[in-house]
Amino acid sequence: MRKTRIKLVKCNLLLLLMAFAVLVGCSSEEGAGSDNNSDSGNEEGQTTVKFWHPMTDTSGDAVEEVIEAFEKQNPDINIDATYIANQGEGQNEKLLTAIAGGNPPDVAYFDRFEVASWAAQGSLEELTDFAEDDGITKNKYYDFAWAEASYEGGLYGIPTTTDSRLLFYNKDHFDEVGLDPENPPTTIDELEAAAEKLTIKEGNRFERIGFIPWYGQGWFYGWGWSFGGDFYDPSTNTATADHPKNVEALEWMTDFAQKYGVEEIAGFTDSQGDGAMDPFLTGQLSMKVDGNFGVASIEKFKPDLNYGVTPMPTPTGKDHTTWSGGWSVVMPKGAENQEAAWEFLKFFGGEEGQKIFSETSRDFSVIDSVNEELGYKDDSIFSEFINILPKSNARPVMTEGSLYWNELADAVENATRDNGTPQEILEEVSDKVNEALEN
Amino acid sequence: MKQVTKNSTMQTQMQGSFAKPKKRAMLKNSSIPGWLFASPWVIGLLLFYAFPLISSIYFSFTTYSILQPGEFVGFKNYSDLLHDGLFWESIYNTIYFAVFFVPLSIIIGIALAMMLNMKVKGMSIYRTMFFLPTLVPHVALAVLWMWLLNPGFGLVNGMLEVVGITGPNWLGSETWSKPSLVLMSLWAIGQPVIIYLAGLGDIPQEFYEAAEVDGANWLQKTWKVTLPLLTPVIFFNLVMGAIGAFQQFTLPYTLTQGQGSPANSLTFYVMYLYDNAFKFFKMGYASAMAWILFVIIMALTAVIFLTSKRWVHYQGK
Repeated sequence: MRKTRIKLVKCNLLLLLMAFAVLVGCSSEEGAGSDNNSDSGNEEGQTTVKFWHPMTDTSGDAVEEVIEAFEKQNPDINIDATYIANQGEGQNEKLLTAIAGGNPPDVAYFDRFEVASWAAQGSLEELTDFAEDDGITKNKYYDFAWAEASYEGGLYGIPTTTDSRLLFYNKDHFDEVGLDPENPPTTIDELEAAAEKLTIKEGNRFERIGFIPWYGQGWFYGWGWSFGGDFYDPSTNTATADHPKNVEALEWMTDFAQKYGVEEIAGFTDSQGDGAMDPFLTGQLSMKVDGNFGVASIEKFKPDLNYGVTPMPTPTGKDHTTWSGGWSVVMPKGAENQEAAWEFLKFFGGEEGQKIFSETSRDFSVIDSVNEELGYKDDSIFSEFINILPKSNARPVMTEGSLYWNELADAVENATRDNGTPQEILEEVSDKVNEALEN
Repeated sequence: MKQVTKNSTMQTQMQGSFAKPKKRAMLKNSSIPGWLFASPWVIGLLLFYAFPLISSIYFSFTTYSILQPGEFVGFKNYSDLLHDGLFWESIYNTIYFAVFFVPLSIIIGIALAMMLNMKVKGMSIYRTMFFLPTLVPHVALAVLWMWLLNPGFGLVNGMLEVVGITGPNWLGSETWSKPSLVLMSLWAIGQPVIIYLAGLGDIPQEFYEAAEVDGANWLQKTWKVTLPLLTPVIFFNLVMGAIGAFQQFTLPYTLTQGQGSPANSLTFYVMYLYDNAFKFFKMGYASAMAWILFVIIMALTAVIFLTSKRWVHYQGK
């Protein structure tokens, strides 16, 4: 009996030892981790700013150039940039858990339309005081960009890029069917007529489609606004998806789907790819709605494509509009090195950083003068995108931006596939988003 | 005394958690070191498994959003769910998938296993071939099948064309999207097939010999010997398959980039749960969904277990 007890004591000791070893193992690992950090250029007195971003390709290069220029100017700050796949593109769970766990990066690259909902959750540091101290005001930026980065009067992000959406059309196709390539459609009726002329169908299969309203960047936001509708009433904080003009827009899309056969269109679009395989580039689609980033892929994969851009048609042929999104840099809640992080935010969103980033990435700057300086306004294609920016809309600044986006995307699919009338479907969207807004 | 203690310690160590010490006295004396040795895992299990599990019950009654603790709202999340159209749609989609996938996977799995159980040269190669798709990660599987099922130049429609059938727009059609998913999932059926193979190997040869003496043909042997004796394995695969089917996530999520398109026909229960939890800041709502799913799966498993007495035959009983 006694011996067992001694054994037990031994066991306990062993266990304690093991636990101790585990703890030591953990902490020594941590120590090694921070050692590594200091190896990567963290000299005496340098502050390291952790920066998470989802950029690859040209924008990846652009952000590296911005960081390089910033570090040159601020030798006491070291930017530790980490690529996080799909951050800001509907997959923010990594950032979310990092903030909830109290170990966030100091700066994150973030889709602007989600700033409001994240700010409302208290997950972003407010930048108002920083901005006031450094004299950064909304005057420098496009109105919608600043508005999207703010929530309830406070500033939560520094805008970095923007974009706009226009109708792309293939001039050669226009010539071929006898349409005037210098006079692209401006009204919805003209658009429909052109689409019909441009479409070539053999049996059940499309050889070429003139136009598909929801293809590419033809999101419902763009059509709703083009038809004169609106999506949000800030004074009452309610979603107005069932605005009569929005319903008209969705009815038009539904008619289009019925006329051409939605399943056949889906069969066509599902067979298409991105990049060089984009049907507009391969000549299988004559017109599409796309953003200025679409220009970059044309320049890359088919530089000799004879195409033009024009504002999205409206029922009246007047009051053309579009919508703009874009990115921002934010400071997640609990960021450690806020002073240094702010310096980086300020540089990225300032004229200098903007110029470097926009020049390499070909994303528009949120500062008008930078776009002018980079010559976007002289370019026959880019100027169209820039010129519509002052009349552009931004997605509603609200706490349920993601939900609203998903619901509207579903609404178009459901309406075009005849799962209810546009009126009913959009009413449901409003109800669902408003219910979420109330909570 | 010494002898006894030593023996029982060994027993605990060797049999681990399978055997419960029969006498309380033994438990008192001897299982403590065992528990101590197991404690890292026990603590880990309690801390990282039981604790989140239990706390999600509480969260399901709140408006918890991960970033904010939220307020206690009682059964509001549950009652809201009952009025959420997409919730019901996701249940419909999930049940649709389970109803078609689980039985098909059993039928095809057994058929495959029986074929792979024949005494043919190079059988191990065939077995490997059918198991290989199981090793393909779900994301790769999704991309692969998107190409195969491509309506324009996909291999599947190409083959159908050869025999004069115009294939549907598989993943772009509301009617065909779920059957496409069943097809894809059936492709990676290697795991249950391995289990069926083990089950087949377990059936004593004597039964077949006896059946042959009695003049049974192949069909009779299959129905009267193979299948009844395979029921314990079928039972296991049925339970696991049903649980897996209700948790379908990776494949449809990657296929549709989380959209569940076309027209939400591929929005599965867990996908909608995930969206609520991580996209819409509704972790409380998502927790409620998780518990409803738990109850559904639990009930289903209970039903399978209750009926199992009637149709599962264990050898030697």
